[in-house]
Amino acid sequence: MTLEAEYSPDADRIMSVSLGPQHPGAGHFRIKLWLDGDYVVRSEPDAGYVHRGEEKMSEYRNYIQNVPHLERPVILDSSNILFAYALGVDELMNNKVPQRAQYLRVIMSEANRIISHMYFLAIQGLFLGHTTMITWCMGDRDFWIDLAERIGGARVTFAYIIPGGVRNDIPPSAIEKGLNTCDWFDKRMDEYEKIFFRNPMVHQRSDGIGVLSREDAIAYGATGTVARASGVSVDVRKDEPYSAYEDFEFKTPVMTQGDVYARAYVALLDMRESVKIIRQALKKLPQGPVRLKLGPQPRVPAGEVYSRTEAARGEMSYYIISDGSPRPYRLKIGVPSAKNLRVLPLLLRNVHVADIPPIYWGLNYWPVEADR
Amino acid sequence: MVVAQQQKSGAFQVLVGKIDDVLQYAIGDPMRYLANWGRLYSLWPVHLETACCSVEIGAAAGSRFDMERFGALEAFGSLRQCDLLIVMGTVTRKLAPRLKLVYDQMAEPKWVIAMGACSITGGLYFDSYNVLRGIDDIIPVDVYVPGCPPRAEAFLQGLVLLQEKIRRAPSLSGR
Repeated sequence: MTLEAEYSPDADRIMSVSLGPQHPGAGHFRIKLWLDGDYVVRSEPDAGYVHRGEEKMSEYRNYIQNVPHLERPVILDSSNILFAYALGVDELMNNKVPQRAQYLRVIMSEANRIISHMYFLAIQGLFLGHTTMITWCMGDRDFWIDLAERIGGARVTFAYIIPGGVRNDIPPSAIEKGLNTCDWFDKRMDEYEKIFFRNPMVHQRSDGIGVLSREDAIAYGATGTVARASGVSVDVRKDEPYSAYEDFEFKTPVMTQGDVYARAYVALLDMRESVKIIRQALKKLPQGPVRLKLGPQPRVPAGEVYSRTEAARGEMSYYIISDGSPRPYRLKIGVPSAKNLRVLPLLLRNVHVADIPPIYWGLNYWPVEADR
Repeated sequence: MVVAQQQKSGAFQVLVGKIDDVLQYAIGDPMRYLANWGRLYSLWPVHLETACCSVEIGAAAGSRFDMERFGALEAFGSLRQCDLLIVMGTVTRKLAPRLKLVYDQMAEPKWVIAMGACSITGGLYFDSYNVLRGIDDIIPVDVYVPGCPPRAEAFLQGLVLLQEKIRRAPSLSGR
């Protein structure tokens, strides 16, 4: 009897489904979905599966010990998260970082941007049912990893950019290899455009899917490729040039459609600009030292600093409070994934279930980064 | 000449080892050998990413390292069809019950690879308030692959070690 009383045809139509954390379309992340047939009515992201307490851990390690664990959350883009940290600590300590180190920082962070975007495009190709894209991107990504490995000494976690400069000098062979990789990759990106971005199948699956308007992108505080795909021209490298970025010529690619296709295409245009920057930096690399001598446990003067860089996914920021001891008093990491996650419930509304993975991955969301 | 002789003797030892394997495992208990031989080249890993080591799994499954040539292909279907659980890095307190749930849902025989320092001892995050110090307390582990993160080659070596363990499994059930 109670069942009959509670029965209502409208409520019965809505089905709630949990997507993840074990799901091919959502790794270490869960989305609660309310479905009406094949349509998503409402969605609610459930983050926090990889919360490792980075910010608290930073408070009981000194500024140099903080380097390795701070790069782990953004493992695809490990140089850019350290870049922001190094900029902040350098500003607190009034470090005059040598010019050669500035150039090497730029080279490494741009190489990392390409590595991150290649992974993004590979998985986006997989979610759009384009198997060539995942095999090509995963294979070509390894050539950039080879270059970064020759400079930084590891496959993904380099700990290369540190307060006071970079960890070691670039080997002479890496300059030649870097220029060769740039030339080869320019041709390779033309092939990506042919096989993926001009593919009618990809257009059909991604055009007009998950559209984010310019107003919403600004209101929700989207950043990086998501904002630039919606017509908002934000790029910390241009807006607030840090390190040696003023010395290089590059553009900020902006598209206006704001759909899944535009978010993937902006990543490709981003990589074209990164190749330009790397080529310029390798050609006019200045001579000199690459690192300041800081000592094993540098004391940082008391003060507060806010530093930010343009990572592959968007604006990466740090807020560091120092009380004069060798350890930070408080360290806050502002990551682009957390900023872009706010957009997800907005996009996952009135879409087909089959479009969830491309929309989710199109935000370039990396749960490890967002949870910290 | 010396080099050639060494190569010959090395190949000879491999041959002896193979014959020894066949005598010991295939003739002694042919059904067990056949069943485990079938299992070891068709491992289906669950798609459960726990942390950042999943990037290196992506590389291992990608074009250069090509996990598939060792007979392991990431299953994008149901985890009920899977028999290998790769724990890719840090397991937090929120994920731990889900990890156990995933392991319990898999059908026997099943194996576990603990990949990365975090899933072995907690790794870099050993003193974090939200991270488990190793997954041994939750699920049994067959192969440990150390590294932070392990290179794709290291993971593939762990996979080959697991295959060796399955080949030498003492019973027909594969355990």
